[in-house]
Order: sequence, then structure tokens, then C-alpha cells
Amino acid sequence: MGLFDKLAAWLGLKKEVNVLCLGLDNSGKTTIINQLKPSNAQAQDIVPTIGFSIEKFKTSSLSFTVFDMSGQGRYRNLWEHYYKEGQAIIFVIDSADKLRMVVAKEELDTLLNHPDIKHRRIPILFFANKMDVRDALSSVKVSQLLCLENIKDKPWHICATNALKGEGLQEGVDWLQDQIKTMKT
Amino acid sequence: MFSVYSWVLLFQIHISQHSGRLFPDPSGDGGKWLDAHYDPVAGLYTFSSCVDLADLSGDGESRLVAGDLGCGASAMKLKVYRGTALMSESALLDLPSGLVAFFMDLHQPRIPAVAVASGPCIYVYKNLRPYFKFTLPGLEVNALEQDVWQQVREGQIDQLTLKEMLEGIRRKADVPLSVRSLHFLSLETNEMDQFIQLHKQQPIRRQTVITVIGTLKKSTADEDGVSCLVIGTESCDVYVLDPEAFIILSKMSLPSVPTLMDVTGQFDVEFRITVACRNGNIYILRRESDKPKYCIELSSHPVGLVRVAKNVVVGCTDESLQGFTQKGKKLWRTLVPAPITTMASMDLPTRGFQAVLVGLANCEVHLYRDKNLLSSIKTPDAVTSVCFGRYGREDGALIMTTRGGGLMVKILKRTATFDERDSAPGPPPAQSVRLNVPKKTKLYVDQTLRERENGTAMHRAFQMDLSRMRLAAAKAYVKALESSMAPVSSSAAEPLKVNAVVQGLGPSFKLTLNIQNTAAARPVLNLAVSFLYDEKLYRVRTPYLRVPLLVPGLVYPLQTFVECTSDKGVSDIIKVFVLREGRSAPLLTAHINMPVSEGLPLA
Ligand SMILES: Nc1nc2c(ncn2[C@@H]2O[C@H](COP(=O)(O)OP(=O)(O)OP(=O)(O)O)[C@@H](O)[C@H]2O)c(=O)[nH]1
Ligand SMILES: [Mg+2]
Repeated sequence: MGLFDKLAAWLGLKKEVNVLCLGLDNSGKTTIINQLKPSNAQAQDIVPTIGFSIEKFKTSSLSFTVFDMSGQGRYRNLWEHYYKEGQAIIFVIDSADKLRMVVAKEELDTLLNHPDIKHRRIPILFFANKMDVRDALSSVKVSQLLCLENIKDKPWHICATNALKGEGLQEGVDWLQDQIKTMKT
Repeated sequence: MFSVYSWVLLFQIHISQHSGRLFPDPSGDGGKWLDAHYDPVAGLYTFSSCVDLADLSGDGESRLVAGDLGCGASAMKLKVYRGTALMSESALLDLPSGLVAFFMDLHQPRIPAVAVASGPCIYVYKNLRPYFKFTLPGLEVNALEQDVWQQVREGQIDQLTLKEMLEGIRRKADVPLSVRSLHFLSLETNEMDQFIQLHKQQPIRRQTVITVIGTLKKSTADEDGVSCLVIGTESCDVYVLDPEAFIILSKMSLPSVPTLMDVTGQFDVEFRITVACRNGNIYILRRESDKPKYCIELSSHPVGLVRVAKNVVVGCTDESLQGFTQKGKKLWRTLVPAPITTMASMDLPTRGFQAVLVGLANCEVHLYRDKNLLSSIKTPDAVTSVCFGRYGREDGALIMTTRGGGLMVKILKRTATFDERDSAPGPPPAQSVRLNVPKKTKLYVDQTLRERENGTAMHRAFQMDLSRMRLAAAKAYVKALESSMAPVSSSAAEPLKVNAVVQGLGPSFKLTLNIQNTAAARPVLNLAVSFLYDEKLYRVRTPYLRVPLLVPGLVYPLQTFVECTSDKGVSDIIKVFVLREGRSAPLLTAHINMPVSEGLPLA
């Protein structure tokens, strides 16, 4: 941690990072972000996102601004307009939706090949969500199906999560925080 | 030359487009579909009429409901799939002939019921539990048949008499025999008695069976509006059933047995039922009438029927696909490369896309928009059912089952687009590129206007000039004839023909005149031949020849020699006159174009 960061942390000024939260509709993006917010700011009812919404939450040293994108087919073409601003990506997968694993892979591949992403060392955090559902795929299986081992030029990490209970989320966010702090500024 | 070259070039481009698509893409679909699931041993044996997609739990996730016809040891079942897994299955009593999901009431949450048609019954399932069974009304029973069985019951006739009488009735009756009598007739003699004992006390019933089933919105076009069931039967009838009370709302009759059906509209407003029948015709029924309103006569039997917007697309056994308007007017016909196994519509309202999926016996599924092939998918086995719609949470899912009982799910890519001339065989795309035709000039437009306005006058002027020209030509011809300037004389007195032949290289030429009397019988006398020529160039040995008597029909060669006296390499015309003694005007004239003398005059 540089001197400025230490000073900033001491002053309560935290470094701002923009994070894109992507993934198919119904994968649990909004539910996950809602869990990460302080409990007094959490929403009770979560409805499918229209377009996108901007949410903020803080960790010990960072202040996150999350673009919670809608995963519905007709809104997925909005994603790419925010790639430039994003400094990290959270990609959420419904591990119980085996049928659409190919669709998730297709969208991930499109993302990784986008000119605004392709040549950047942008960290990607995968949440294999809904691990509580019976017959859900393990995070290992999900990373196999999405061929994550092929991502060589970007740091990535996958965790199995249950967004309803908040399980597994902290591990992922800690990893992301470390990645962002080691990134050259 | 240019056009041939450019055609070759276009041809090459065309070829390379094809091969370019073939190699990197083993499924042959142009990378438009994602392979979501394939289970080659799913053990699901079914047809397009027995599959439907519906949100059976009201959780926004659509399920696949299928009436499995079974195969060999596996029995008939009603199966429900969720995503990649079989979610539930229950036994069916009889072979399903059709299956539909429909909203039968207005209860919340909006969960559709499933209706399975088999035999004379419709089994309705709600929340996947049996809910109601509807049986079609019985048909009229042959009175004679009833009498005969009555006599059997009273012990008045024995089994062989019964057999004889039933056979008699079967041969001439207009009301067919019941299934019981038909079964009896198929028995061996030793089995008959037992059969009679078992059945004679029961009343005779004649039942028809359901061949097709569909749904028709009752009064609203809403997606989750209550729907009536529409069924077609082996007795050539079409019934519309009320979804709540299951009473017959409407009955229509057809000239033949329906085999495929499409229903559109609303029962209370206006509807249209398109039925393909076993006689190879398609009939269109409408609200006002209980008889077909339009009829389409096909040249071969229909195997698939799909409605696209207001048109009907029919697949036939002659490997053709044909488009018709809703009034039965034929729009187009195109050939497919193999026999058609099944058809389904591909309707993607969010993208405003409508097309027809055609399953083929050569293990391909083709996608057509009108007569144009948009794309084709290779399948590991021939498909027997195809269904496109929302499955799971995906709107563009294509579900296919194969002959071997496999289940396959493909998902249309979000970015997939279908190009009309994509892979359709036919003219290369460059052919339809507009040529840069120059703009019409003012002069051109003025002329066109003038021509349009003064058409009659211009035509008259043209006709006048044409007549004048003909007159001038005729006058010139007459003059030539009168002055005998032609080598043929048609005068009645001396009908003659002359032709001249020049032989030799020069400077000496031999000139032969062949004279023929063309009259039928009369000989010609007292003729002579003389020559007119440039004396500085030529010398004719005998410038005056007497012609002998000319017998009709014979050719008389008259010969003389011509000497070219010039060594300048020039040539001229020598005129030959056929004369009648004592008259100065020639009878006819021949012009001889003398060749250039190639030899040198003798010194
Ligand atoms: N069982 C289970 N359900 C979950 C989990 N996470 C989310 N859900 C449920 O999944 C549904 C969809 O969650 P959302 O957070 O709205 O999904 P989303 O990714 O934001 O969807 P869009 O906004 O449409 O892109 C909700 O009903 C959640 O309750 C989980 O870990 N386990
Ligand atoms: Mg959301």
C-alpha cells in the first residue's frame, strides 16, 4: 500500500473502483449486490432488472460503484457500452441452469473478445451462484463448461455462492479487492 | 467477352462462399445455434403434434411436455422435461394422437392445463395431475347390426349365421359396423363362442377417434387468455369444445378425415381452422359456416402444415414445400432435398422473425422463409418432432426429438441473423445488384411524352410512308420489267431466262450464256444476242450471236471469247442483250461483272 493509499484510508477516503456485474438474467446479480450492501440499505424485494442500475458498497479499503446490468436477452447489447469504464468484472452464473450454460459461455466469449476488454488485464470474478439448489453444478464443473482455463491474460477467480444467504460472497470480494490494489494505478 | 469473364468470377465467389461455410462449421448451421443439450438415449419417441412448451409451474420457466408413444418395451407416457432433465412422467392409457397446453380458466396463478388426445378421449391434466376426461359422443349404430346381436342374445342364431349376417351388413351398409362386430369377424371359429359369451350382453357402441387437436382462444387474443380445444375426428368432423364445461360449442364437417390442423383467431370473434385431410386436400373452415369455405387441392399428400402470418405453408410427400394464401391461392412451390418428416413454425416475435422449420429424412432440418432456404442444421439422426419456442428462460429454443428416441435442444444465438440469400442455391447475389442506369434525360422524357400523346398520328404517318415506299418499289420494278433490264423476261410472248458464266484467268475469257425458254409449250424463234462493253478494255470475238430456235425447257449454252486489252488490272461490266430481230428494245438484259485479268496479253 502506497503512502497516499494509507493516508486516504486513514482519512476515510477510499479508492473508487467501477465494477461491471454481468451474467444471464435470473443468475442472481442483483441479489448478490444487494447482499454486499450494508444491511440497512438492502432491498427486500428483488425484481428483474430493467436496463441497468448503479449500486455502491464499500469494503475495508475500496469504494465500489457497481453497474448491475440486466441479463435479459434484449438488454445484453447494453453491456458493451460500459466496458471502457469498468475496472473489474463480476460475472454471475446460475449453476442450476444447465441448459443455458452454453448461452453464458457464448456471452462470456463475446465479452472476452470485445476490443475494450481483449487486451486489458482486467480482473474477472466468477460467482457460480445458487449452489444451494439441488442438482446445481459445482464451481469446478462450471469453470470447465465455460472453459475458464483458457483465460490466460487476465486474473480470474471462481467461487460457489448462495446469494440468498450470502455464502461465498466475501471470499470473492476479498480476492477482487486484492487484485484491484495490486493493479498499477 | 467481358460478361463471360465476370460470370466466371461471380461463380467462383459463389463457390468459395459455400465451401468457406462448410469447413469450420461441422453442424452446418452457419454458427447460428448453440448446442444446449443432446441426449441420444432419452427414450422419447414422439411427433410434432404431441409436444408443446408451457410454463407449467408458473415460475417463468417453460417446460417441455411430450406424449411419448413408446417403442417396443417402453410404454406410452406423458413426460415433462425441465431444462436438461426429465422432471416427471406418468403412464398414458392409449397412444396419444395429439397434445396441447392451454389455459382452461382464469384462476391465478396462470398455470396452463395439458390436454392429451388419445382414442375417443381427451385427458386433461392440471398441475400434472389427471383432472378431467372428455369422451366424444358415440356415433349412430347400424340398426341391422343391432338386430342381429339382439337375436344372438336371445339364442335365435348361431355363431356362423352371425358371421354371415355381419359380413352381409358390412358389404352394403352405409353405417359402418362397430368395432365389436369387426373384431368378431376377424376371429377364428374356435374363438367365436367365447367372444360372443363375453360381449353379447353389452350394448353396441360405435366410437370415433381423435386424429388432431389444437387450441382456439375463446374471446381475447391475450397470450394467457382462455382457450377452447379444437379436435378433428376419424368421422370427418371438427369440434370446438368449451374449456370449462367441456360441452361442444360448435361442430363442423369435412369431406375427409383431418390429419393436420392449424387454428387461428378467437372463437367469439372470428376464426379460421385450416385442416389437411387424408384425401390430399386442405380445407379452410370459418366461423360462419359448418362446411369448408375454401379448398386447396394438392398434387400429393400433405405431411406438414404450418401457418406463417396469414399464409399457410404445406409440406408434401413429393418433397415439395408450397405456400398458399388464407383463401387457398397458391403463392409458390419449392423443392426440398429429401422426404419431409415433420414441420413446425419458428416464430420469434421479439425479433419480428417468422419462418418454417422442415425436418428431413436425410438428417437435416431446414429453415425456410417463404420459398427461400435461410439455413440448415445437421442432426445426428432424422428428426420426428420439431418445436420452437420458449424453453426454460430462453425464448429462442429449438427442441427436436429423433427417430431413435434422442432429445436435442439448440438455442438461437442472440446475434444470429438470417440472410435471405444466405445459402439458397440460385443466382449469385451480385446478380441482384442494381446496375447504374443513367438518368433519363429531358430529351428522352420529352420524346416519350410526345410519343405517348401523338401515337395515333405517328402511326398513320408511318403507315403512309410505308405505302409510299411500297408504291415506289413497285413502280421501279415495273419499269425494270418494261425496259427488260432484268435477266428474266416474263412477257407472255417470250418468257426467257438467261445466266452468264465467265471462265478463265485472262486476258482471254470464255463467256457462256445459258438461255432457257421457260414457256410451257411454245418455242421461241428469231432471237439474237449482242454485247455492250468498253471497247478500250475488252474485245469480244463475236459481238453478235444468232440464237437458234429455243425448245421450251432446254438450256442452250452460247459461247464466245472475250479478250482483255488492258494491262492496268482494271475490270468492267459487260452488258448482254437478248434481242428480237426487228425490234430495238431488248427482251432482257444481263450484267456480267468481269473478273480482273491476271495474265499478260500476248505481245
Ligand atoms: N436458490 C437460490 N436462488 C437465488 C440465488 N440467488 C438469486 N436467487 C433467486 O434468483 C432469482 C433472480 O435473481 P436476480 O438477482 O433478480 O437475478 P439477476 O441476475 O439480477 O436477473 P436480471 O436482473 O434479470 O438480469 C430471484 O428469485 C432470486 O431470489 C441463490 O443463490 N440461490
Ligand atoms: Mg438484476
